[in-house]
Amino acid sequence: MTGLSKVEISYIRSSLLSDPPLRADGRAPEDFRPIAVETGVAPLANGSARVSIGQPRAGRGHEAEGAGGGTEVVAAVKLEVDGVGDDEEGGKVICSVSCSPAAYPHLSSPALDDLQSDLTSLLGSVLSHPSLCPQNLVIVPGQKAWALRLDTIVFADAGNVVDCLMLACRAALVDTRVPSTRSVEYRAPGRQSGTLNEVPDDLMDVDQSRNGPSSMLETRDPSSAVDFELADYWDEGKVLESRDSWPVCVTLNMLPTIHFLDATSQEETAVPLRLHTMFSFPGGKPTSHGMRMAGAGTSDMTQIGLLLKHAEKYARNMWIGLEAKLAEEEARRSVKAREKFYGGRRR
Amino acid sequence: MDLDDLETGEYRLTCPGETITSAHDFMRGHGTYVDDELVIASVAGTVQRVNKLVTVRAARSRYNAEVGDLVVGRITEVQPRRWKVDANSRQDAVLMLSSVNLPGGVQRRKLESDELQMRTFFEEGDLLVAEVQAFFADGAMSLHTRSLKFGKLRNGQLVVVPPVLVRRLKSHFIALPCGVDLILGLNGYIWVCKHMQDADHGDEGFDAEAVYSNQNDEIDGPTRLAISRVSSIIRVLADHFVPLTDTLFLEAYNWLIEQEVNTKDLILGDLGDAMVAATCSVR
Repeated sequence: MTGLSKVEISYIRSSLLSDPPLRADGRAPEDFRPIAVETGVAPLANGSARVSIGQPRAGRGHEAEGAGGGTEVVAAVKLEVDGVGDDEEGGKVICSVSCSPAAYPHLSSPALDDLQSDLTSLLGSVLSHPSLCPQNLVIVPGQKAWALRLDTIVFADAGNVVDCLMLACRAALVDTRVPSTRSVEYRAPGRQSGTLNEVPDDLMDVDQSRNGPSSMLETRDPSSAVDFELADYWDEGKVLESRDSWPVCVTLNMLPTIHFLDATSQEETAVPLRLHTMFSFPGGKPTSHGMRMAGAGTSDMTQIGLLLKHAEKYARNMWIGLEAKLAEEEARRSVKAREKFYGGRRR
Repeated sequence: MDLDDLETGEYRLTCPGETITSAHDFMRGHGTYVDDELVIASVAGTVQRVNKLVTVRAARSRYNAEVGDLVVGRITEVQPRRWKVDANSRQDAVLMLSSVNLPGGVQRRKLESDELQMRTFFEEGDLLVAEVQAFFADGAMSLHTRSLKFGKLRNGQLVVVPPVLVRRLKSHFIALPCGVDLILGLNGYIWVCKHMQDADHGDEGFDAEAVYSNQNDEIDGPTRLAISRVSSIIRVLADHFVPLTDTLFLEAYNWLIEQEVNTKDLILGDLGDAMVAATCSVR
């Protein structure tokens, strides 16, 4: 879309300011379009999710834009082994956003790159913060850690892409399983038993301390482990720690005297000023993870304070909804995994 | 598929890869290919035959213009003596400066000053309704707005649907009794706006101020609500891939009023299915 005409912009704005506020599709200002979340969409990823906002029904085809199109984002988490430098805790989260050119047919490729780096930096500034880094990304303390790569793709943009991205990221991160590992240590032959010439069947000794009792090895210093191996175990691994603190985002679109949520792309064009707010609610306690104002315009401080209160309320609703959906998805996941396991056996 | 079917002239749907007829007796047209001496459809759509030429018109494609079609378009670029218009077609359409009505009467000659102030007539992003006048050699269409019915669009909002859903009607300017006007562009762009009083002044009274204005009129709440309702109806019908006609809008609108529901439930809930079932069964 090449933008809107002046009359369309003024029509949208005056409709929003009329009493009661009216939107093109009849929603109230604080109504979201239907949101669909599905986890485990990428089989090779450690965790993945697809989120769409505003698609009328699953199973119905994607019609021409405007008819049935919504915003659609897929996020996938891949864990990679990474060395840990000095004075580093280990473990990091690296975000990247790519936008499909099909989602933005009117953008030239440099403009698309700009948009991608914009969204990447927004996501990175929130999710890559050290305070959010899960502890169990460390494999061998001081040596090896998982680098968590969170890649997202915007397949279609019908407005409110940031909220959609953050929802997808949170869903993918909650879906992520960290493979269980055992650390491995090299030991000089004979240090344990004294027989100097005994050869190297047990040159490599598996450290059992993480998975079971190890009465013989209690004196071992954990930092002597230098490498690891993947546990050959039926489980996919453990969930990320601190999964309660990955935030959701609520974008408030601000038109003086009112604000509204989940803008369509037309509304975004007509009302450029918006406030992205990221909240998480670990244990029900609201925590703000960031805030960014985008678009041209100003807003006075008292209004911002009020908006933040509203934003927290909206974010809490969204959080509760997403938690319920993710719990459902998780139950489905174990059923699916079991079916796959037993089904494979019987065959 | 037999020749008989083609003879009867009935519409027949194809899937890609479906055999239509023998290549000995017929020539292949658009949307078909020949394999093993058989004409095979390469798209999903309706089979059409002109003498010995068999074509398949795709059910889902961009807009294929024909001369005389009414389209709604959006200006994408202002160029020397012409505007480029996005009309949901494969290429941008062209609107020449010489094919628009200019202030000061129809017979007025185009001056250099007109070329210099083209943005006062149409600028980027503006929506307009026009008629397809002709085609250029490269297939791009040329539009004209040389009628008082055509020109810049105001007082409403645009709804986009797949172009195949808009049928050719007697008139594409539809006035619904709820105070809403519809302009059904054959390219799938539908303009939903407040009802305009019919301009009874002739060409002499051509009011450039009003035609090229960038200001909306005063629109009251109920009208806005009706516009939003009608737009939602169109979206829901398009989601269900129902071809659009004026009677259908009316039935759907009345049904919606009878049910006494909010417009948003139409988009959010199952109400859309119910509406489509109710209105389409009547037909």
